Amino acid sequence: MSDSPVVRTLGLGKRYGASWALRDCTLEIAPGSVTALVGSNGAGKTTLLHLIIGLGRPSAGSVEVLGRSPRDEAENVLRDVGFVAQDHPLYRSLSIAETLDMGRRLNPRWDDAYAHERIGRLGMDPGHRVGRLSGGQQAQIALTLALSKRPQLLVLDEPVASLDPLARREFLGGVLEAVAESGVTVILSSHIVSELERVCDHLITLTDGHTQLEGPIAELLARHRLLIGPRADAASVARVHDVIRESHTERQTTLLVRANGHVYDTCWQQHDVDLEELVLAYMGHNPGASFAAPRPEAVAR
Amino acid sequence: MTWVAWRLQRTETLVALLVLALVAVLLVPTGISMADAYRHDGIGSCLSPNPGFACANRIGAFQAQYQTLNFITNWFTLLPGVLGVLLAAPFILDLEHGTYRLAWTQSITRRRWLFVKLGLAVVAVIATNELLSLLIGWWRTPLTHIDGRLDSGTYDTTGIVAIGYGLFALGLALALGALWRRSAVSLTVGFVGYFAVRIIDEYWLRGKLVSPLHAVWHGAQAPGYLASASILSQTVTVNGRVVESNSSSGGVLGAHSQLAAPGSGQHAVFHVTYQPASFFWTLQIRETLLFTAVGAALLLFAAWWTHRRAA
Repeated sequence: MSDSPVVRTLGLGKRYGASWALRDCTLEIAPGSVTALVGSNGAGKTTLLHLIIGLGRPSAGSVEVLGRSPRDEAENVLRDVGFVAQDHPLYRSLSIAETLDMGRRLNPRWDDAYAHERIGRLGMDPGHRVGRLSGGQQAQIALTLALSKRPQLLVLDEPVASLDPLARREFLGGVLEAVAESGVTVILSSHIVSELERVCDHLITLTDGHTQLEGPIAELLARHRLLIGPRADAASVARVHDVIRESHTERQTTLLVRANGHVYDTCWQQHDVDLEELVLAYMGHNPGASFAAPRPEAVAR
Repeated sequence: MTWVAWRLQRTETLVALLVLALVAVLLVPTGISMADAYRHDGIGSCLSPNPGFACANRIGAFQAQYQTLNFITNWFTLLPGVLGVLLAAPFILDLEHGTYRLAWTQSITRRRWLFVKLGLAVVAVIATNELLSLLIGWWRTPLTHIDGRLDSGTYDTTGIVAIGYGLFALGLALALGALWRRSAVSLTVGFVGYFAVRIIDEYWLRGKLVSPLHAVWHGAQAPGYLASASILSQTVTVNGRVVESNSSSGGVLGAHSQLAAPGSGQHAVFHVTYQPASFFWTLQIRETLLFTAVGAALLLFAAWWTHRRAA
């Protein structure tokens, strides 16, 4: 597998009528990465994923998947991309076996043995009607359909939003397994951050159609610090570091900063930031802030 | 793709076939008995421009016997609309349930998906409607000998025109479904729209499809060929004054024959605008082409709209 990006967007935008659902989105998805696309409802996640999968046509900018335009070369791109749409739509009147049969007939590189083996492993009876299955089971069928294409890129739109915690765990477990097995590149969107850390190694946050944070999660976490100290003005810190969020109580000030080098000021206690805190800080309190971690691989080339 | 599209349209197709089966259950036994009665009563040999009194009685009795059934089968002209909107359902359900996103992200293009899915619906509409027309046409054969084929109950349900009606209903429901993505309301409004257009067709459009002929005669006896013709309008003048005018379709002005009864001393003139029985196929072909063209335009709109707008 080459190390050129699996997905590359440049100034990508999508307009519905007068309003932009996605605007000026430039990003790259590295091969083998598992990227969480995080944003509140209506932030443009589904729009971005639909542009990547070729369901929508960009109003501005461009998108390339595996070096091709997903809309203009749909047949070539779709073969290599597995997609599970929001609410994992399936034909409810079909049985599991018929659903897999559909996958076999509509995909030239379909791996039928894998599909049936995966259904068996999940303990499902191929004769059962899809409409009678639980939400978690339906999500697993949808994932099986997408994975049996043997895709190079797996795109999941809010795959766990409608699932209970156990089904959520099992679904994400299935994604991890597929990543370990085949090294497939994954983008999954979510409006909840918890549990993503276990699965994802990259993060993109979207707010109001703009990307805010972008990069490897470990790097993003390493660049940010939580500073707690006696109540004070943030100005002295802000001279050196970028203050993303500040909150004050009567005695205490808490700052979430993007550190540019060490924080030497000893009156601050320094803490690591967790992913949820970081995402919320960018999304909720400072919609204008944005940060893309530098790309070491880009420098290397 | 064809198998998939067929599998997803199977239920609707089976329902359509069930409708046909129900119609057959009604028509096959009664059709056989009607054909038997027709032969047995020697109706065929009675059919001359001027049947005798006994013959006219026999024909009248035969028609009276099958009047109720005849009336019921006139309503079968609604069935092309039912079949058309029914077979539009799989496409609209795909949009309503979001499953088109599943179909469009397999390794086929949406153009292919649209082509196969809509193509299969078109084939099913044509096949079921023509089967229905053949069945009703066979059933009506004895009645056709008496009334001719332009009688609206016969004309609408036999020949090929039902194919046009069905395709129009299909296209209308598809277009509404593409816009609204709600199957129940699209199918309902589609059917109501079909019904409205068919009424306009019946009472206005059909008379314009082929230039009608005119006939003028004096005296009580209408020309025999008018018995099997479709009367568009008729006027009776007595001594140059219009005494009766009727622009809706209906039978020949037999009721007014007393106006021209010998010895009444009045000079009655009958003017009739009509389409003769020989226009049957010309009318059928033109009407079928017209409805098919409108249906196809609506279907293409549905495909284009879905291709362009859906994501």
